[in-house]
Amino acid sequence: MLFDTTQLALERAIEGAGTRHEALAANLANANTPGYQRVDVDFHGALASAIGRGEESREALHSLSFAPAQDASAGAVRADGSTVDVDSESARLAANALEHQAAVQVAHARIGILKAAMGTGI
Amino acid sequence: MSLFGGLEISASALTAERLRMDVVAENLANAQTTRGADGQPYRRKEVVLQERGGSFGASLSAAMNSSRPPSQGGGVEVAGVVEDQTPLKRVYDPGHPDADADGYVAMPNVDTVTEMVDLIGAQRAYEANVTAMQASKQMFARTLELLR
Repeated sequence: MLFDTTQLALERAIEGAGTRHEALAANLANANTPGYQRVDVDFHGALASAIGRGEESREALHSLSFAPAQDASAGAVRADGSTVDVDSESARLAANALEHQAAVQVAHARIGILKAAMGTGI
Repeated sequence: MSLFGGLEISASALTAERLRMDVVAENLANAQTTRGADGQPYRRKEVVLQERGGSFGASLSAAMNSSRPPSQGGGVEVAGVVEDQTPLKRVYDPGHPDADADGYVAMPNVDTVTEMVDLIGAQRAYEANVTAMQASKQMFARTLELLR
Protein backbone atom coordinates (compact mmCIF):
# COMPACT_ATOMS: atom_id res chain seq x y z
CA MET A 1 0.00 0.00 0.00
CA LEU A 2 1.47 3.34 -1.04
CA PHE A 3 0.06 5.40 1.83
CA ASP A 4 0.33 4.01 5.36
CA THR A 5 -1.85 4.85 8.39
CA THR A 6 0.52 7.66 9.41
CA GLN A 7 -0.11 9.47 6.12
CA LEU A 8 -3.84 8.85 6.52
CA ALA A 9 -3.73 10.16 10.09
CA LEU A 10 -1.89 13.29 8.90
CA GLU A 11 -4.57 13.90 6.27
CA ARG A 12 -7.31 13.52 8.85
CA ALA A 13 -5.38 15.82 11.25
CA ILE A 14 -5.24 18.51 8.51
CA GLU A 15 -8.99 18.11 7.98
CA GLY A 16 -9.65 18.20 11.74
CA ALA A 17 -7.58 21.37 12.17
CA GLY A 18 -9.57 22.95 9.31
CA THR A 19 -12.89 22.10 10.98
CA ARG A 20 -11.61 23.35 14.34
CA HIS A 21 -10.45 26.58 12.70
CA GLU A 22 -14.00 27.10 11.44
CA ALA A 23 -15.42 26.55 14.94
CA LEU A 24 -12.92 28.98 16.53
CA ALA A 25 -13.62 31.57 13.80
CA ALA A 26 -17.34 31.23 14.59
CA ASN A 27 -16.58 31.85 18.28
CA LEU A 28 -14.65 35.03 17.43
CA ALA A 29 -17.43 36.13 15.07
CA ASN A 30 -19.92 35.81 17.93
CA ALA A 31 -17.72 37.61 20.48
CA ASN A 32 -20.46 40.24 20.91
CA THR A 33 -23.50 37.96 20.66
CA PRO A 34 -25.34 37.89 24.00
CA GLY A 35 -25.62 34.42 25.59
CA TYR A 36 -23.51 32.68 22.91
CA GLN A 37 -22.05 29.30 23.89
CA ARG A 38 -18.58 28.64 22.47
CA VAL A 39 -18.08 25.62 20.20
CA ASP A 40 -14.98 23.49 19.70
CA VAL A 41 -13.84 20.39 17.78
CA ASP A 42 -12.00 17.66 19.72
CA PHE A 43 -10.16 16.21 16.73
CA HIS A 44 -7.15 15.20 18.88
CA GLY A 45 -9.27 12.85 20.98
CA ALA A 46 -11.02 11.39 17.91
CA LEU A 47 -7.68 10.83 16.13
CA ALA A 48 -6.03 9.32 19.21
CA SER A 49 -8.84 6.81 19.74
CA ALA A 50 -8.83 5.88 16.02
CA ILE A 51 -5.04 5.36 15.93
CA GLY A 52 -5.13 3.33 19.15
CA ARG A 53 -7.33 0.63 17.61
CA GLY A 54 -4.43 -1.37 16.19
CA GLU A 55 -5.36 -3.44 13.12
CA GLU A 56 -8.67 -1.62 12.69
CA SER A 57 -7.13 1.84 12.86
CA ARG A 58 -7.13 2.24 9.06
CA GLU A 59 -10.90 1.75 8.82
CA ALA A 60 -11.42 3.85 11.96
CA LEU A 61 -9.41 6.72 10.42
CA HIS A 62 -11.39 6.45 7.17
CA SER A 63 -14.76 6.66 8.91
CA LEU A 64 -13.72 9.50 11.24
CA SER A 65 -15.91 12.60 11.08
CA PHE A 66 -15.36 15.89 12.85
CA ALA A 67 -18.22 18.09 13.99
CA PRO A 68 -18.27 21.17 16.20
CA ALA A 69 -19.86 20.64 19.61
CA GLN A 70 -20.84 23.13 22.27
CA ASP A 71 -18.22 23.45 24.99
CA ALA A 72 -20.22 22.92 28.19
CA SER A 73 -17.12 23.20 30.39
CA ALA A 74 -16.59 26.88 29.57
CA GLY A 75 -17.97 29.26 32.17
CA ALA A 76 -19.56 32.58 31.36
CA VAL A 77 -16.96 35.33 31.00
CA ARG A 78 -19.43 38.14 30.34
CA ALA A 79 -22.47 39.49 32.15
CA ASP A 80 -24.75 38.49 29.23
CA GLY A 81 -23.81 34.79 29.65
CA SER A 82 -21.46 34.59 26.66
CA THR A 83 -18.64 32.05 27.12
CA VAL A 84 -16.34 33.58 24.47
CA ASP A 85 -13.10 35.08 25.74
CA VAL A 86 -11.57 36.88 22.74
CA ASP A 87 -8.00 36.52 24.05
CA SER A 88 -8.12 32.76 24.62
CA GLU A 89 -10.01 32.20 21.36
CA SER A 90 -7.29 34.11 19.47
CA ALA A 91 -4.60 32.06 21.22
CA ARG A 92 -6.38 28.79 20.34
CA LEU A 93 -6.79 29.98 16.75
CA ALA A 94 -3.06 30.73 16.44
CA ALA A 95 -2.08 27.41 18.04
CA ASN A 96 -4.46 25.49 15.80
CA ALA A 97 -3.07 27.21 12.67
CA LEU A 98 0.45 26.14 13.74
CA GLU A 99 -0.72 22.55 14.32
CA HIS A 100 -2.26 22.60 10.84
CA GLN A 101 1.00 23.90 9.39
CA ALA A 102 3.00 21.20 11.20
CA ALA A 103 0.74 18.43 9.87
CA VAL A 104 0.93 19.85 6.33
CA GLN A 105 4.73 20.07 6.44
CA VAL A 106 5.17 16.51 7.73
CA ALA A 107 2.72 15.22 5.09
CA HIS A 108 4.64 17.16 2.44
CA ALA A 109 7.97 15.71 3.60
CA ARG A 110 6.57 12.16 3.53
CA ILE A 111 5.26 12.68 -0.01
CA GLY A 112 8.75 13.94 -0.89
CA ILE A 113 10.27 10.69 0.46
CA LEU A 114 7.86 8.66 -1.70
CA LYS A 115 8.76 10.76 -4.74
CA ALA A 116 12.48 10.21 -4.07
CA ALA A 117 11.91 6.47 -3.78
CA MET A 118 10.10 6.52 -7.13
CA GLY A 119 13.07 8.31 -8.65
CA THR A 120 11.16 11.42 -9.62
CA GLY A 121 13.12 13.73 -7.33
CA ILE A 122 11.72 15.87 -4.56
CA MET B 1 -15.74 23.77 1.85
CA SER B 2 -13.99 23.76 5.14
CA LEU B 3 -11.57 26.66 4.89
CA PHE B 4 -13.71 28.89 2.68
CA GLY B 5 -16.37 28.42 5.37
CA GLY B 6 -13.93 29.96 7.82
CA LEU B 7 -13.52 32.98 5.56
CA GLU B 8 -17.30 33.39 5.29
CA ILE B 9 -17.74 33.21 9.06
CA SER B 10 -15.11 35.90 9.62
CA ALA B 11 -16.61 38.02 6.83
CA SER B 12 -20.04 37.93 8.52
CA ALA B 13 -18.42 39.20 11.72
CA LEU B 14 -16.63 42.01 9.85
CA THR B 15 -20.00 43.14 8.44
CA ALA B 16 -21.63 43.02 11.88
CA GLU B 17 -18.81 44.88 13.65
CA ARG B 18 -18.69 47.52 10.90
CA LEU B 19 -22.43 48.12 11.39
CA ARG B 20 -21.81 48.53 15.13
CA MET B 21 -19.18 51.18 14.34
CA ASP B 22 -21.61 52.90 11.94
CA VAL B 23 -24.32 53.01 14.62
CA VAL B 24 -21.88 54.41 17.19
CA ALA B 25 -20.93 57.13 14.70
CA GLU B 26 -24.62 57.90 14.14
CA ASN B 27 -25.23 58.13 17.90
CA LEU B 28 -22.26 60.48 18.35
CA ALA B 29 -23.34 62.61 15.38
CA ASN B 30 -26.83 62.96 16.86
CA ALA B 31 -25.77 63.50 20.47
CA GLN B 32 -27.37 66.99 20.44
CA THR B 33 -30.26 66.36 18.01
CA THR B 34 -33.56 67.45 19.52
CA ARG B 35 -35.57 66.87 16.33
CA GLY B 36 -35.30 63.33 15.02
CA ALA B 37 -37.08 61.83 12.02
CA ASP B 38 -40.35 61.61 13.99
CA GLY B 39 -40.01 65.13 15.41
CA GLN B 40 -39.02 63.74 18.81
CA PRO B 41 -35.53 64.00 20.31
CA TYR B 42 -33.06 61.45 18.94
CA ARG B 43 -32.82 58.18 20.86
CA ARG B 44 -29.59 56.20 21.10
CA LYS B 45 -29.56 53.19 18.77
CA GLU B 46 -28.04 49.82 19.57
CA VAL B 47 -27.20 46.80 17.37
CA VAL B 48 -28.46 43.37 18.49
CA LEU B 49 -26.36 40.48 17.16
CA GLN B 50 -27.39 36.85 16.91
CA GLU B 51 -25.73 33.61 15.86
CA ARG B 52 -26.28 32.90 12.15
CA GLY B 53 -28.03 29.64 11.36
CA GLY B 54 -29.26 29.48 14.93
CA SER B 55 -32.94 29.76 13.99
CA PHE B 56 -35.14 26.68 13.91
CA GLY B 57 -35.94 26.98 10.20
CA ALA B 58 -32.29 27.21 9.20
CA SER B 59 -31.34 24.22 11.36
CA LEU B 60 -34.22 22.16 9.93
CA SER B 61 -33.38 22.88 6.30
CA ALA B 62 -29.70 22.19 6.96
CA ALA B 63 -30.57 18.86 8.56
CA MET B 64 -32.90 17.86 5.73
CA ASN B 65 -30.72 18.89 2.79
CA SER B 66 -27.43 17.47 3.96
CA SER B 67 -26.08 14.17 5.18
CA ARG B 68 -23.63 16.03 7.39
CA PRO B 69 -24.68 17.04 10.90
CA PRO B 70 -25.99 20.62 10.96
CA SER B 71 -23.14 23.04 11.43
CA GLN B 72 -23.41 24.84 14.73
CA GLY B 73 -21.10 27.72 13.85
CA GLY B 74 -22.30 29.72 10.88
CA GLY B 75 -21.03 33.11 11.88
CA VAL B 76 -23.01 36.05 13.13
CA GLU B 77 -25.79 38.25 11.79
CA VAL B 78 -27.56 41.43 12.82
CA ALA B 79 -30.91 40.67 14.49
CA GLY B 80 -31.91 44.32 14.41
CA VAL B 81 -31.14 47.88 15.41
CA VAL B 82 -33.18 48.86 18.48
CA GLU B 83 -33.71 52.22 20.16
CA ASP B 84 -32.49 52.66 23.71
CA GLN B 85 -35.61 53.39 25.83
CA THR B 86 -33.79 54.89 28.81
CA PRO B 87 -35.19 58.35 29.75
CA LEU B 88 -34.00 61.38 27.80
CA LYS B 89 -31.75 63.89 29.54
CA ARG B 90 -33.54 67.09 30.63
CA VAL B 91 -31.38 70.18 30.32
CA TYR B 92 -32.41 73.67 31.50
CA ASP B 93 -32.07 75.97 28.49
CA PRO B 94 -34.99 78.45 28.25
CA GLY B 95 -33.59 80.05 25.08
CA HIS B 96 -33.73 76.78 23.12
CA PRO B 97 -36.53 76.69 20.50
CA ASP B 98 -37.53 73.17 21.69
CA ALA B 99 -37.71 74.13 25.39
CA ASP B 100 -40.98 73.29 27.21
CA ALA B 101 -43.01 75.72 29.34
CA ASP B 102 -40.59 75.27 32.30
CA GLY B 103 -37.54 76.02 30.13
CA TYR B 104 -36.30 72.41 29.99
CA VAL B 105 -35.14 70.75 26.76
CA ALA B 106 -35.27 66.96 26.30
CA MET B 107 -31.84 66.00 24.98
CA PRO B 108 -30.91 62.63 23.43
CA ASN B 109 -29.96 59.80 25.82
CA VAL B 110 -26.53 59.52 24.18
CA ASP B 111 -23.56 59.25 26.54
CA THR B 112 -20.37 59.97 24.60
CA VAL B 113 -18.20 57.89 26.98
CA THR B 114 -20.43 54.80 26.47
CA GLU B 115 -20.28 55.32 22.73
CA MET B 116 -16.49 55.59 22.72
CA VAL B 117 -16.18 52.37 24.77
CA ASP B 118 -18.56 50.61 22.35
CA LEU B 119 -16.48 51.93 19.45
CA ILE B 120 -13.25 50.53 20.93
CA GLY B 121 -14.99 47.18 21.57
CA ALA B 122 -16.26 46.97 17.99
CA GLN B 123 -12.84 47.97 16.64
CA ARG B 124 -10.98 45.30 18.64
CA ALA B 125 -13.53 42.65 17.66
CA TYR B 126 -13.07 43.68 14.02
CA GLU B 127 -9.29 43.30 14.34
CA ALA B 128 -9.65 39.85 15.97
CA ASN B 129 -11.79 38.69 13.05
CA VAL B 130 -9.34 40.10 10.49
CA THR B 131 -6.63 38.02 12.21
CA ALA B 132 -8.85 34.92 11.99
CA MET B 133 -9.39 35.66 8.29
CA GLN B 134 -5.64 35.93 7.67
CA ALA B 135 -5.15 32.59 9.46
CA SER B 136 -7.79 31.01 7.18
CA LYS B 137 -5.99 32.30 4.09
CA GLN B 138 -2.60 31.07 5.33
CA MET B 139 -3.96 27.62 6.17
CA PHE B 140 -5.51 27.31 2.74
CA ALA B 141 -2.30 28.41 1.02
CA ARG B 142 -0.27 25.92 3.06
CA THR B 143 -2.60 23.06 2.18
CA LEU B 144 -2.08 23.93 -1.48
CA GLU B 145 1.69 23.55 -0.87
CA LEU B 146 1.06 19.79 -0.63
CA LEU B 147 0.69 19.80 -4.39
CA ARG B 148 4.13 21.23 -5.04
